[in-house]
Amino acid sequence: MFDIPDFIGWLLNPENWQGRYGVPNLIQEHFILTLSAIALATLIAMPIGIAIGHFNRGTALVVLLGSASRAIPTMGLLFALVMAFGVQLRELAVVIALVAIAFPPLLAGAYAGISAIEKHIPDSATAQGLTSWQLLRIVEIPLAMPAIIGGFRIAWIQVTSTVVLAPLVGLGGLGFGIIQGLALRNFDQVVASALLIVLVTVLGDQLLGFAQKNQAFRLGHLSGGKSK
Amino acid sequence: MNWALNNLELVLQLTLTHLIVSLIPLAIGFVIAVLLARVTSNRFAPAITGSLGTLYAIPSLALFVTLPVILGTNFVGPTNVLIALTIYVVSAMFFSARDAFASLPKPTIEFAQAQGLSAIQRFFYVELPLATPGLIAGARVAAASTISMASIGAVVGVRNLGYLFLDGFQRKIADEVLTGLIAIFVIAIAIDLALWLLGRALTPWHRRVNV
Repeated sequence: MFDIPDFIGWLLNPENWQGRYGVPNLIQEHFILTLSAIALATLIAMPIGIAIGHFNRGTALVVLLGSASRAIPTMGLLFALVMAFGVQLRELAVVIALVAIAFPPLLAGAYAGISAIEKHIPDSATAQGLTSWQLLRIVEIPLAMPAIIGGFRIAWIQVTSTVVLAPLVGLGGLGFGIIQGLALRNFDQVVASALLIVLVTVLGDQLLGFAQKNQAFRLGHLSGGKSK
Repeated sequence: MNWALNNLELVLQLTLTHLIVSLIPLAIGFVIAVLLARVTSNRFAPAITGSLGTLYAIPSLALFVTLPVILGTNFVGPTNVLIALTIYVVSAMFFSARDAFASLPKPTIEFAQAQGLSAIQRFFYVELPLATPGLIAGARVAAASTISMASIGAVVGVRNLGYLFLDGFQRKIADEVLTGLIAIFVIAIAIDLALWLLGRALTPWHRRVNV
């Protein structure tokens, strides 16, 4: 159907790197959507997840949200919210859908990280005279870091793969090249865009994975390998 | 929900396609993940874990349209979707399958060996039945995300329930989008329940344990 150099040619063509639907602009849109959704979800999910892990109440909520969120198709959620909000407010609708998608894994990561800490550790920290707040800040959150970053990895994968679908509801982002290319049967554009998406997503995942390993390594035997 | 009732035939037909497109990768992916988890030695585990983790991070739509370059398949149609979903099932299930086999009680395996069971007999009569609860738990997680992810196949021309999202959005029929959302949720729950029952039926010796 086509030769391999064709989509590389598409990538090398300066025309495709300019304007509204040029690669840099699409990458920027992709990142703004992904990162703003993850940041918003973090603000909501972290305090709740840490509180649930810390006080050990509301565990059922985490489990329920975790399994329900897997059964709800992210694509359907995206479409339904954009329709409910109307096309004028589609940016807001997409961000809300993405926040809803990022929320469960972030919550689960924070909860799992805190609740996996062996009980004698916070006990001895309290015995040393740490206040609740200090206990959380100095002991529990650092110990939970690998699991918290694990939550970010899943949220990153889920959100960024949903952002790929954003062009279907009229927004931009890196998925644009796939959707437009499929419609116009310009498969060089499709493949080139897909490769950019793979590159960005895998790179983000690897960076988070590196940070996760780094944290786990720093904690050494303290975490007991319980929070991976 | 008038829309769903008026278009019942279409919805049922799309549901059937959706089930087929999800269950085939699930079944094939399950077998591959179990074999991969059981056959690979510890030495290769990190390499497999790493590459499966990387594949898992690739957005589904991007994988659907990258496979034709590698496999020479057509861009539009179910083949890429089936293969991509199988890859996701394998990468989602490999870790839980490994854990399921790694946590088998060692004395039981040694006892089976002492009884003179061959490696293959041991696998089918001892290891596989004992690992079933862990494998089913992994399959349930993989099933839910596969059924949800399959809807994205509609973008590359697979007429499953995801088609209701695209068509409903284009024609501004909110009920159509909602029908798709609910239908996918319902079949995800149904398959989850079916797998849970299957797990119970396959392990009659621990009926009292909740999976």
